Parts: sequence; structure tokens; C-alpha cells
Amino acid sequence: MDKMIDESLSQQAETVVGPSVKIQGDLNSDGNIKIEGFVTGKVKTTQSVFVMNGAHISADIIAGNSVIGGEVLGNIKVSGHLILQNTAKITGDISCQILRVEDGAQFSGKCSMSQNGNGGKKTVHEEPEIEK
Amino acid sequence: MYYYIFDQGNLPMEKFERLQTEALGYFAEFKVSGETARVTPLRSVADLVDTASQRGAKTLIACGSDDTFNLMLASLKGRDFTLGFVPFDEKSFLAKILGIENIFIGAKTIAARRIEKIDLAKISNNFFINYLEFGVTSHNLRSLGWLASVKLLSSEAKNYTIRIDDSYNLNISALGGLAINIRSASASGQKIADPTDSHLDLLVLEKLTKMQILRYREDIASGDLEKIPKTTVIKCKKITFLEPRGTPLTMLGRIIAKFPSTVELVPQRLRLIVGKNRTF
Repeated sequence: MDKMIDESLSQQAETVVGPSVKIQGDLNSDGNIKIEGFVTGKVKTTQSVFVMNGAHISADIIAGNSVIGGEVLGNIKVSGHLILQNTAKITGDISCQILRVEDGAQFSGKCSMSQNGNGGKKTVHEEPEIEK
Repeated sequence: MYYYIFDQGNLPMEKFERLQTEALGYFAEFKVSGETARVTPLRSVADLVDTASQRGAKTLIACGSDDTFNLMLASLKGRDFTLGFVPFDEKSFLAKILGIENIFIGAKTIAARRIEKIDLAKISNNFFINYLEFGVTSHNLRSLGWLASVKLLSSEAKNYTIRIDDSYNLNISALGGLAINIRSASASGQKIADPTDSHLDLLVLEKLTKMQILRYREDIASGDLEKIPKTTVIKCKKITFLEPRGTPLTMLGRIIAKFPSTVELVPQRLRLIVGKNRTF
């Protein structure tokens, strides 16, 4: 499963937000989104969202899979895999089917997980502040 | 009925006459003859498109340069034609992407009548199929020498504001960029510049380091901005260029519009006669 996700994540992103870009509004896409800049509003795709180290997101993220390496101020709702890299800083609630947290990731909010990725109706963990 | 628009463009008269004769010969050979008209100082491409419409022509063929085709496209004004192209220019960008390498293949392609529906882009009531550029453009770079192009790429970035799909604003400090429907490296199934994917691609180039300029100068000159790190790539259907006001939007070096301007995509709108070796 991990291999499949890695392959999917390594595909060229359809939408790339460069490091000097500031987006205000709703960023919707049908493909993978890679964010290196600043986004305020909402990020939505059925595919994967990559928030790179150095990126700042003040927005809710709704996606199929997501890899977070930057700073997110908002809720993250993912129907598949959510990977928090060691540089990730998240303030908001997360909801996903499979979660991987690397050492050093910071997360403050609620975490909901479920087998079918329906927004976490089965298990809810409240985690006020985690720093691994 | 076929309506052929012959345009001398920048060709010497002698060469143009020879190419026109050659083309007419092939049209007769492949039984695709029709009405022909030549662009003159008194009869522009737009005038000839109007005439073709009045005569009830269904297929317009531009015989000349990429400019001839672009002018023909811009003159359609929403009228429904099938379009074709016969290149009189060996370096034609359109000839390459349509798979029509020369006059003979052009005539053969018209006879085979392989029609592909492709997306059409629209700016200020003018239609186009290829791409628009702003800021530091690939067209400028191609016409400059090595030193001048490095100097141009070392210039200061400008702050651009661009609205996408009426959904969000993009503020970016950049050297320049491209709004692409189709380009010479286009191919179907590619993520960028597929003219059948119902999307425009906006590529914006950020300020580069000296090493990056030296390394990617040729990619920038050929318009392959997605190969350069930090380039912003956005797929969308509508792009509104807002600021800085007055910034020119150019097509093959010719100014088409200025900021603020809106580019929209009309999906699968254009019926185009294409060759077997087309790139998309």
C-alpha cells in the first residue's frame, strides 16, 4: 500500500504553487497539488496535496491523500493516507484513514480516523499538543 | 467547399509564387481544389474570411505562415468553419504540432480530412490556439544572443496579480510567464499543454539564480518552464491578468492585449484538419 502511495505521490503534480506565490481564495483541482508558497482560503482535490517545507497554509485541506511538510492552520480532511513529515506544524483537526507521523512533527487539534475514511466516525482522539 | 487563403507574409514574391503554384498543383492532384484568394494590402485575412462566409464555404485553409493561421482564427467571430493549414514556412510551429511538414503533406492531409476537435482560447473576442506570454518571454529570448538573454533573465522580478477561474487570486513575484493551450512540445496525455484536455496551463517563472539561468536558459527559450524549479503551474479554464496594468500579453512577439485582460478556454470548439504525425 505504501509503495502505491509513494508512486502516486512521486508523480508530477498537476498544480504547483511556487515559493513566492500567495494565493487567496479557493484552490480546486482534479489532480495532484504541490504547495511551496502561501495559501489562504481552501484547498480541495480528489488526488494528493503536498505541502512542502516552508509552505504556509491558512486553509482547510480536503484531499484524497496528503503529505504535510509545512505549516497548516486549518482542518485537514483526507480520505486516504495522511503523512506528517518531521517539519510539519499543524494547528487544526485532522481526519484520515491511515496516518503516519514522523519524529518532530507538531500537531495540535483533534484526530479522527476510520476504516473507510468517512471523516472519522469510528474513533476520535483529542490531542492537545503532540511533539514527537 | 474549400476556401484557400494564400498569404505572402514575409516571403519574397518569387518564392511565394513558386510555393503557391506548387500548392495549387497538389490540391488539383488530390482533388481538393476550391476557391482561392490572396491576401493583398487592400484585402486582409479578415476580409477574406468574411468573403468565404458569404460564399458559403465550410472549410477554410490558411496557406502561409503561422501568422496567417492566427489571423484567420482571430477573424472567425464565432462562425463555424473547419480549419486547415498548409505551411509556406519551414520553421512553422503550427506545421510541427499539426503534423503537416510541407505543402505536399498539407494537401494530402486535406484530402484525408482527418478532423480533430481541439480547445480554443479566447481573449477580448479574439480566438487563438497556441499561447500568450508576459514579462520575459521565450520569443524575446530566442531572438537574443547568449549574453543579452542572460542579462534579460537577470532582470528584476515584477509583482503580478492573476485571478484564476474566478475562484482565487495569485500574487507572485516573477520574471514572466505563459498561458498555454498548445505549444510545439504538446502531446496528448501530457500534463502540460494538451489541447484536448479542456484546460489552459498557466506557467509562471520566478526569479532565478545565476546558476539556474545558465542551466535552464534553453528550456526557458523553448517555453518549457515546468522543467525549471520553483515554476508555478496552474491548470484552469479562465485566467484574468489583473496587475501590473498595461503589461503586454504577446503571441509570437506580437502584442495581443494588455493587463487587465481575461483569457478563457472554449473546450473542443475548433474543428481542425490534422496530419497523421500530429503531436497531440
